[in-house]
Amino acid sequence: MIWLTGRQFRVQALTAAGVLAAFAILLALTGPHMASLYAASGLIGCHGGSCQNLAGSFEAELQSTAIYPALYLIGVVSILLAPAVIGLFWGAPLIARELETGTDALAWNQSVTRTRWLAVKLAVGGLTAMAVTEGLSLMQAWWAAPLGRAVTHGAPAGALYQGRFTQLIFASHGITPLGYAAFAFALGVTAGALIRRTLPAMAVTLAIFAALQIAMPLWIRPHFAPADRAVIAVDLGNFAGGPTGAGGGSLTLVATSLPGQFGAWILSSGPVNAAGQPVSTTPAACTAPSIENSPDFDGCLTSQGIREAISYQPASRYWPFQWTETAIYLALALALAGYCFRRLNRRLS
Amino acid sequence: MNAAIATEGLGKRYRRLWALADCTLAIPAGHVVGLVGPNGAGKTTLLRIAAGMLTPTTGAIQVLGGRPVAGPEQLARVGFLAQDAPVYARLTVADHLKLGAHLNPAWDAGLARRRIGRLDLDLDQKAGTLSGGQRSQLALTLAVAKRPELLILDEPVASLDPLARREFLQDLMETVAEQQVSVVMSSHLVGDLERVCDYLVVLVASRVQIAGPVEDLLATHHLVSGPRRDPRSLPGGITVISASHTDVQSTLLVRTSGPVFDPAWTVSEVGVEDIVLAYMSQAAGRRRRDHQLEEVPK
Repeated sequence: MIWLTGRQFRVQALTAAGVLAAFAILLALTGPHMASLYAASGLIGCHGGSCQNLAGSFEAELQSTAIYPALYLIGVVSILLAPAVIGLFWGAPLIARELETGTDALAWNQSVTRTRWLAVKLAVGGLTAMAVTEGLSLMQAWWAAPLGRAVTHGAPAGALYQGRFTQLIFASHGITPLGYAAFAFALGVTAGALIRRTLPAMAVTLAIFAALQIAMPLWIRPHFAPADRAVIAVDLGNFAGGPTGAGGGSLTLVATSLPGQFGAWILSSGPVNAAGQPVSTTPAACTAPSIENSPDFDGCLTSQGIREAISYQPASRYWPFQWTETAIYLALALALAGYCFRRLNRRLS
Repeated sequence: MNAAIATEGLGKRYRRLWALADCTLAIPAGHVVGLVGPNGAGKTTLLRIAAGMLTPTTGAIQVLGGRPVAGPEQLARVGFLAQDAPVYARLTVADHLKLGAHLNPAWDAGLARRRIGRLDLDLDQKAGTLSGGQRSQLALTLAVAKRPELLILDEPVASLDPLARREFLQDLMETVAEQQVSVVMSSHLVGDLERVCDYLVVLVASRVQIAGPVEDLLATHHLVSGPRRDPRSLPGGITVISASHTDVQSTLLVRTSGPVFDPAWTVSEVGVEDIVLAYMSQAAGRRRRDHQLEEVPK
């Protein structure tokens, strides 16, 4: 059975190996240069406030090359797309193609039970899918390590590198790619077994996987643990786009970071009054254009009792969240696989 | 007698349509059994259930005394060649033989090699580029070389041209003689079955119309012709299967356990094809009448 699986899986395995090799070459050609830039940046062994400036200039240097931001994006997007591609092209045809071509009658009339047939197919395909995706992720992590270190030294989070909790980073680093790969593969196999035709099964696999990848960071992941809450003084340095109060006196303050909580995942933020109630209008005392557009706008707000409430997940929960999310996807993958076994043995008509 | 396939009230429904309904039959082992019937009789459904490719909606089935695909042992005992002889288009002939060798403990590599050599198949050719006849031969090789006790063939020659058909059946007969394997094969081409089968089952609308060794069928069926008379006036022990009349003459296909003695009648032998066709049209006529009765109640 392993021989047959290997034989039927050869083209896919070679394709995957080719992609991994191309990715490795690309990163190996550019990674050492980034590392040398980092070494030359003076960040190693820096002290105190100078670090932040050095980190900022290192990041600016990378940004100016155009190739590093592009590679960074290509890397992250490849890791995110790999599970979907695997689910579509390895998972969906696994059973559906056999049913479509009638070769199920050939495969399942050898002296090997369908349970074993599927077990070997799922094991080989699933483990390869996980290895390929995690391989991409580890290579990218190695390549981008200098960037990550620069950011911990206080480089501003920008287009090149954002916090670990942002969707692109969280879903492409750590162990989550393992879970995505296993799930997408099992999803494809299940869709193929249910729909019995490869192309519609591929479409359904893509739709469900994409929907879950969107729903997870928006509605599910924030609730892995009860969010922490902080109420801090209004400081315009923390806000993206500054306060918006033009004319109508409406006030929104969207925090981008939380002082003292580096790398925290900010779920929601907004101004509250002295009683802790959310407010949406600028106090009358601060509405004059001369104040609203001045750097001292935050001082005026503070004097009126306005503070900023932030609900967030601290950076220390990064790994627990990684484990939780991976476990959820792996559990889903196992449930789907279990369903496939049942379906293959009980109902195939 | 050990049954190759025994069913009890077997039925298979697709949504609201019954492809096979309340089918009870026993097909004996140790024969080359031809399963004949018109399109839609349920032959393919029956054989696919027997091979474990379909789960029945109702009833029970035993294949060589066991449940289909109950385990590796049961799988090893039954070889199945599905309609249109599916093979992996992208694998070579040699790959298919390796597949068989890896997946069947009782694989007879020598037999497989001899067959492929005799059939003049190129080991390195992709199965997708084989002709229909070659593909059937390759699929049959896989089914035979696993050394099953029972070979189930679903319309093995339906899609082949007459020459390929004859070669396939010739080869099948040699293999059966060599391997002592029981065979159940379906076809709606009675002429082909006549050459290879020693036992016939005529299936119309899930019902067995007649079943028995070909020899017995030939010995108990006669074509009699004589002056026109009402078939109902025939002596007991004679069953009329089909009758045709002209103004002065009647020609009947009858089944009788003993010889037909009537000086007024000319008795002649009938071929298998005539017997099968007579049963099929008898069943078709009965169904037509039933339908008319249902549709026009009086």
